[in-house]
Amino acid sequence: MSLESPKNYGENDFRHIVTIWIVLSVVLDVLYWFLVGPHVPPGRMTSTAKDNQLDFNVLFVIALPVLIGVWEWLAFAGLRWNSKRKDAPESVGGPSAAGKRSAEWSWIVITSVVVLFLAGFGTVELYAGNGSGGGEGPNPIQQPAGAVRAETAAIQGTGSWSPNSNEVLPVQVIAQQWKFTYRYPTFGGFESPFLILPNDTQIAFNVTSLDVIHSFWAYQLEVKADANPLENNVAFTKTEQLGSFEVRCSELCGIWHGAMFNSGKVVSQSAFMNWATSTETKNAQNTKDLPPFAWTYVPDANGAAGGYYPDGNVTPYSTVEIYGSKQPS
Amino acid sequence: MTTSAAAPSDVEKATSGAEDAPRTTGHGWLSQHVGTAIVGGFLGYILGHWLGNYIGSAYPYIANSGQNSLAVLLALLFMVAGWLLGIGALNYPLLKIVGREAKPEVEHVGWSKYFRYNLDHKVVGIQYVVGVLMFFFTGGLLAMAIRTELLSPTVHVFSADTYIKIVSEHGTIMMMMASSIVVGPLGNYFVPLMIGARRMAYPRIEAFSLWTFVAGYFVIFSALFFGGFPTGWTGYAPLQTQAGPGMISYLFGFAVISVGMIAAGFNLAATIINYRAPGMTWSRVPIFVWSIIATAALLTLASPVLLAAGLFGLLDKTAQTAFYVTEHGGSSYLWENLFWFFGHPEVYIMALPGFGIVGEILPVFTRKPLFAFRIAAAGMIGVALLSFFVWQHHLFQSGINPDMRPLFMLTTELISIPTGFIFLVGMGTMYKAKIRYEVPMLFCMAVYFNFLIGGISGVFLSDVPVNVTVHGGFFVLSHFHYTIMGGLIFAFFAGLYFWLPKMTGRTMNKKLGLWHFWTMFVFFNLTFFPMFIIGLLGQPRRVFTYARDLQTLNDFSSIAAFCLGASFLIFVANLMWSQFIAPQKSPANPWDSLGLEWQTATPIPPYNFERIPVIMTDPYHYSEVGAPALVDSGDGPPVHASSFVASSTDPDQ
Amino acid sequence: MTDMIKSSQKMSDTPEEREFELRAHIGAIWSGGRLFIGIYTFLLAALAFSYFYLRSSNNGLLWRPDHVTAPTAYGWTIYTLVLLAALMAIFGQARLRKGSVSEWQVAVWVGVAASLLALFLQVWEFTAVPFYPGSSGYASTFIGYSVINILTIFIVLYWLETTVARSLRMNKEIGGVAPQLSMHPSAQSFRANVASMTYFLGFVALASTLLFAMFYLL
Repeated sequence: MSLESPKNYGENDFRHIVTIWIVLSVVLDVLYWFLVGPHVPPGRMTSTAKDNQLDFNVLFVIALPVLIGVWEWLAFAGLRWNSKRKDAPESVGGPSAAGKRSAEWSWIVITSVVVLFLAGFGTVELYAGNGSGGGEGPNPIQQPAGAVRAETAAIQGTGSWSPNSNEVLPVQVIAQQWKFTYRYPTFGGFESPFLILPNDTQIAFNVTSLDVIHSFWAYQLEVKADANPLENNVAFTKTEQLGSFEVRCSELCGIWHGAMFNSGKVVSQSAFMNWATSTETKNAQNTKDLPPFAWTYVPDANGAAGGYYPDGNVTPYSTVEIYGSKQPS
Repeated sequence: MTTSAAAPSDVEKATSGAEDAPRTTGHGWLSQHVGTAIVGGFLGYILGHWLGNYIGSAYPYIANSGQNSLAVLLALLFMVAGWLLGIGALNYPLLKIVGREAKPEVEHVGWSKYFRYNLDHKVVGIQYVVGVLMFFFTGGLLAMAIRTELLSPTVHVFSADTYIKIVSEHGTIMMMMASSIVVGPLGNYFVPLMIGARRMAYPRIEAFSLWTFVAGYFVIFSALFFGGFPTGWTGYAPLQTQAGPGMISYLFGFAVISVGMIAAGFNLAATIINYRAPGMTWSRVPIFVWSIIATAALLTLASPVLLAAGLFGLLDKTAQTAFYVTEHGGSSYLWENLFWFFGHPEVYIMALPGFGIVGEILPVFTRKPLFAFRIAAAGMIGVALLSFFVWQHHLFQSGINPDMRPLFMLTTELISIPTGFIFLVGMGTMYKAKIRYEVPMLFCMAVYFNFLIGGISGVFLSDVPVNVTVHGGFFVLSHFHYTIMGGLIFAFFAGLYFWLPKMTGRTMNKKLGLWHFWTMFVFFNLTFFPMFIIGLLGQPRRVFTYARDLQTLNDFSSIAAFCLGASFLIFVANLMWSQFIAPQKSPANPWDSLGLEWQTATPIPPYNFERIPVIMTDPYHYSEVGAPALVDSGDGPPVHASSFVASSTDPDQ
Repeated sequence: MTDMIKSSQKMSDTPEEREFELRAHIGAIWSGGRLFIGIYTFLLAALAFSYFYLRSSNNGLLWRPDHVTAPTAYGWTIYTLVLLAALMAIFGQARLRKGSVSEWQVAVWVGVAASLLALFLQVWEFTAVPFYPGSSGYASTFIGYSVINILTIFIVLYWLETTVARSLRMNKEIGGVAPQLSMHPSAQSFRANVASMTYFLGFVALASTLLFAMFYLL
C-alpha cells in the first residue's frame, strides 16, 4: 500500500477491504468453529444443550464476518481516510457520493437473506429441539413423542417409569420465595429438595410457582422456563451425560433472588430408580400431608402465597375450590 | 385568509386588546420559579398524605394493614400537582376556564429564565440538559454501588434488601432518563432550528413535558424513602402486588414520565409536520429530524399503554382491584404484555435519536453527503413501525402460547434489516473520505463500534433456542447496555460536544474531550464485554451473589466500571471549565456545518430567524462542485455550500 | 394558545410570513387534534386489551361470576349524556359553519351541562360500585374503565367549556367568530380549534359506544 503514489491513493481500498475481510473471516470462522465452538457454554450435557450450542455457533459464524467487516471498515476510516494523513485525497461530494444504487440494493438483499435464513433456521431448530428447552406454557406444541401420554398419566396418578422403558419422565418444579423443590408424579408425587434425573431419558419439566414469577434455569441442562403462579410451564430436554448441574432463578423474585439456587445430578437410570423408590417410601408420610399432585397450586383461603381477601372474610370469592383441578380429600 | 392575515391593523388590535389580560409569568423573586414549585410540591405532598389517610381511615382493611398505599399515592399525586402549580404550568389551563388569555410571554433575561416555566424551546433544551444529566448521574452512582457489591460473592457491602432496591432504582432512573436524553435536550433545542421554524407548535406543552419529567425524578427517587421497590425496572407482578409502598413511586413515577413523554412527542410531531420552513420538503428534512419524528410517533403511541399499565397497577395497590392478581381473575401476564408493548417501542425511543445524531454529524466531519439518505429515513420509519410487533420476544420462556415464538422470532430478526440501514449509511458516508477526527466524530465512530456488538448480540437473543441460554442473564444485560449506553449515550455525548458551541456560544476543551472520549470508550467496553462471558457462564441478572469461579471476571468488570464512572468526572470538569470557569468563545460555525441550525446568529435571537428562511436544498452537499444554494435567509445573498469548501480542507479550522 | 399566534404574528414583518405562521398554527391544531386521538386510542386500546385478555384467560373461572353485575342505570345515563355532549358539539359546529354563533354557543353550553352531569355521575358510580373491586377480572377492568372514563369526560368537559368561554371573550374582542364576521387570525384559530374539538368528540362518542357495550351490555 505504501507503494501507491498520492495520486491514486485509496483507489484500491475497496478491493483491499474485501480481500482482508474474506481472509480474516474464513480464518477466524474456522478457528472459532473448531477451537471455541465445542466448548461454548453450557456444554453438551443434554440434547437441548447440544442443539443450542450448535445454534449459538451457527449464529456466531455468521455474526463474526459482520463484526469483522464493520470493524475493518472503521479501521480503514481511522487509519487511511484520515485528514491527518497529508497524502489523503480530498473528500468528493456530489450525487455520486450521495448514494449508489447497486451498493444499496445488495446491502438490502444480503441482510434480508441472512435474516430470513436465521429466522427459518431458528424455527426449524426450535421444532426439531422439542422447544429447545424453553418454557412452552401449559399446552406445548413442540414436544417429544410420548410426552402427552406421560403427562396425562402423571396428572391422573397412573404414570409409571422404569429403566429402559423409554418413557418420558415428568418432573414438577415448584418455585417459591426463595427455593426450588421438585415433585415426581410417577413415584407417588413425593417432593424432594434435590433434582435427581436419570440419564438418557426424555424429561418433561412442569414448572410452576407458589407466589411470584421465578424462572427455573437448569444451567448445564439448558432448560429455562418461567415459574408463574397458577400456570404450568412445560419444557423438555433429554439427558445425555452423567454429572451434576446448577439450578438458578433467573427472574427477579424479591430480596433473596440472588440466593435462590441449588444443584442437581444426572445419574444412571438404575441409580435413579433406586433413589426414587427409596425416597418414595421414606417420604410416604410427608407426601400424605402435601396437597395432592396437581399442575398448579392456588393459595388457600387463609391467603397463603400472596392471595388476600381484604374484606376479612375467609371465604374466597371463587366458587372454584382450592388446589386447582384436583380437590383435596 | 390572505386578506386579513395581511392586515397589520387587525393584528395590532388583537395584541392591544389582550393587554389587560393577566400575565402567566413575571419578574422577580415573588413570581413563579423553581422555588415556588418546590414549596407547591411540598404542600401538595402534605395535603395528599392527609387526604389519603382521611379516606383510608374509613376502610378497615387499610386501617388494619398498617400501610396506606392510598396516602402515598395521593401524596405523590398532589406533590406533582403542587409542583406544576408552583412552577406556573397550570396558570394558562386554569385561565382558559374563565375564558381569559395569557399575555404574550415576557422575555426573561439572564440566569433566572432557566429556573422558570419558560416557553422558549432553546431555554427548555438547556433545562433538559440539566434534567437528564441529573437523572444520568444519579443512576450512574447507583451503578457504581451495584458494581461495588459485585466485587465479591461472599463479602457483602449492602444487605440483599438494599442491593435489590439499588438495582431497581438504577434501572428505572436510567430508563426514564434514556427515553428523554436526546429528544429532550437536543430534540427540543435543534428541531425548530433545523426545519427553519421560529417556534414550537405547542411551547406550553413542551415546557410541561420538561417539568413533568423533572417531577418524575422526584417521584421515582421518593421510592427510597418508602422502602424502595424490589422488582427491577420491569416491575413484574405478582412481585409488584407483593411489594411495599415504594412500588407506588415506581408505578406513579412511570405514569408521570409517560405523560411527559407523550407531551414531548406530541409537540415535536406537530412542529415537524406543520412548521417546516417553505422549501423544507420531506426529502430535505435533516436525518436528525427524521429520527425525531419517528421517535415522536413512538412516544405518543407507546407511552399511553404504559400509562394505562401503571394506572391498573396503582388501582391494584390502592383500590384493591385484581388486574395482575391471577387468583382473583386477573393475570400476571397482563402486566408483562402491557409493559412490553410499551417497553419494546421504548427501546427504539432510545435508539432512534442516537442514529439521527450520528447521521447528522458524519457528513460534517467526512465532508461528504450522507450516503443513501432516503434509505436512512426509510430505515427509521421501518424500525418505528416494526417495533410495535416484537414485544413478546421478552416473554419467550415465560410460558406464552408457543405458536407465538416463531412469529416473534421472525419479526424481531426482521427489525435488524432497517437497523442495518444505519450501518450502510455510515459506512457509505465514511468511504474514502478525508475524515476530521474531532471529539464528536470519535463518539460517532464509537456508536458504530458499540452498537454493532449490541445489535448482533440482539440477534442471538431473538433466536429462541439461543435465548434459552442467554435470557435473564448477564448476556442480555450486556446486550442492552451496549445498545443504550454504547449507542444512545455515546451519541448523546457526540451531539453535546457537537452542538454545545451553538447552544452556549462556548466551545468545549478538545484535549479534555479526547480524554473523556478515550477513557469512556475503553472502560465502557472493558466493563460490559466481560458481562457477555459472565452471562454465558450462567450468572443471572440482579443477583447479589454469584458462583465463586466468576469472581475474576466480575472484579475486572467492576474495576473497569469505576474507571468508566471516573471518565464522566472528566466530562463534568470539562463542562465546568470550558463553559463557566474559563469560557472560550466559539466560532460561529466551528465545524463548518451546512446544517441550517448553524446558519443562525449567535446567540440565537428569541425567534431564531430574522426572516422565515426559504430552504433550497438538503444540508448535505459537502465537497460538491457547483452545489446549489442552501437557504435564502431573507437578508443578504443565499448561503451557499461552496462557501465552506475552502475552509473544510483545514482539519484544525 | 392564541397569545402565541398573536406574538408570532406581531414579529412577522411581511404578509407572507404572517400567513405562513397562521397556516402552520392552524395546521398544528389540526394535526394536534388527530395526534391526540391517536394517543387516546392507544390508552383505550390498553384497557380493551386488558378486558379481552382477562376475559379469554378467565383465570380461576373468575372473569365474571354471576353476582357481579354492572350498574346499568348509571351506565345508560352516563353514556347518553356523553353522547348528547358529542352530538351537541357536532350539531353546533354545523350551525357555526352556517354562521349562527349563538346556536353553537347554546349547543356547547348544553354539552357542558351534559358532560358535567356525566362527570358527576361517573365519579359517584366509581365510589358506589355494587361489587368488590378485586372480586373478579371483570370487576377490576370495570374499575379501570371508570377511572379512564372520568378522565375522558373531564377532557370533554374542559375542552367544551374553554372553547365556549373563549368564544364569549372573542365576541367582545373582535366582534364574533363566525366565518362571515371575521377572517381575523384569532377567529380562524378559534374555528380550527372548534373543528378539532368536534372531531375528538366524534371519536369519544364512538369509543364510548364500544366501551359501553363491552362493560354494560356484553
